[in-house]
Amino acid sequence: MNKELEHSFVTNLEQNQNIVHKVCRIYTSNQDAHNDLFQEITIQLWKAYPKFRGDAKFSTWMYRVALNTAITLYRKSKRSIKTSDLDTMNFKIKAEEYDDEVEQQLKLMYTAVKQLNDIEKALVFLYLEDKSYREIADTMGISEVNARVKMNRVKTKLKKILNP
Amino acid sequence: MDELELLKQDWKKQNEGLPKLSYNEIYQMILKKSSSMVKWIFIISLLEFALWIFLDIALRLNGFAGEEVLEEANIKSITVILSVLYYSIIVFFIVRFYLNYKKIQTTDSAKVLMKNILKTRKTVKYYVWFNIGFFMVTLVSLITYLAFFTTFYQQQGDLEAVPIKVIVISAILSGLVFVGFIALFYRLIYGILTRRLKRNYTELEKLEV
Repeated sequence: MNKELEHSFVTNLEQNQNIVHKVCRIYTSNQDAHNDLFQEITIQLWKAYPKFRGDAKFSTWMYRVALNTAITLYRKSKRSIKTSDLDTMNFKIKAEEYDDEVEQQLKLMYTAVKQLNDIEKALVFLYLEDKSYREIADTMGISEVNARVKMNRVKTKLKKILNP
Repeated sequence: MDELELLKQDWKKQNEGLPKLSYNEIYQMILKKSSSMVKWIFIISLLEFALWIFLDIALRLNGFAGEEVLEEANIKSITVILSVLYYSIIVFFIVRFYLNYKKIQTTDSAKVLMKNILKTRKTVKYYVWFNIGFFMVTLVSLITYLAFFTTFYQQQGDLEAVPIKVIVISAILSGLVFVGFIALFYRLIYGILTRRLKRNYTELEKLEV
């Protein structure tokens, strides 16, 4: 029985692991920290899995647990994050796909997102993942109106970081 | 905002660049132990419960309570009542702590999750303050009682020269130093552990005003 559960969980997570990697990318700045967080999210997902009823999509359920782990449960490792890591971030923007100006703009955007606080990062992450405001509100535990208001504030904040 | 839309498009394209873990790598991960904050709060809390209970039992076993003194001062029955009260309050705290801890679910919304963690932590905080308070009140009232209503201190030869007021005041002062020390200790332990959680919770709270 337990083996079966393990198998279905690992298979599910293997197929949907991108979601967790993306959460790690928003919240960490180097590969070690990325792996650490991925590990903790996996453990938390596994702990919560017996209660996963399948009435929601596995991926939808994952967003919540993964973000909760990143925002709330995860204890950052002692390794200090060097600012130089910010430049050599995991985000690899493919040069051949964009012209220089766009590429530069994207780089700045990613750096700006990194400067947001934990909650703002969560909002941006869900926004980038094309989640509705209803879903964003549900995941964060705030009202839909406030999710919208906050998202607008985050946009303004990003603008300010980009054009000081 | 065009930049964010631009980012969104790029964000969707990044899938190929993401690491790809194998079935076995993920399987190995679920065998590992969590190092989450909740786990640390749980462990530290259990140590705290154990510490105070241990201290109480150790003091009793070593006869710190001074059976003869209590007999002589006619307050033996009061201390029995106090002990029963003390232990029932501790049981109450442990049950509350356990119920709060059980409520922590990663599948709740971020805000509810944070609220439940802070609640669990608060139970332990109250437990510690209850202990300190109980300890202080007992200490001060016992010394005051012995000093003013019995001849206990007068009988101690070497204390003869020391005025009663000095004994009471120095007992209160050393008690306060002890409380200050414990308070600092807790600020450090939990301060480090929950700083980020508190900040994020406040951030969400602020939104709802």
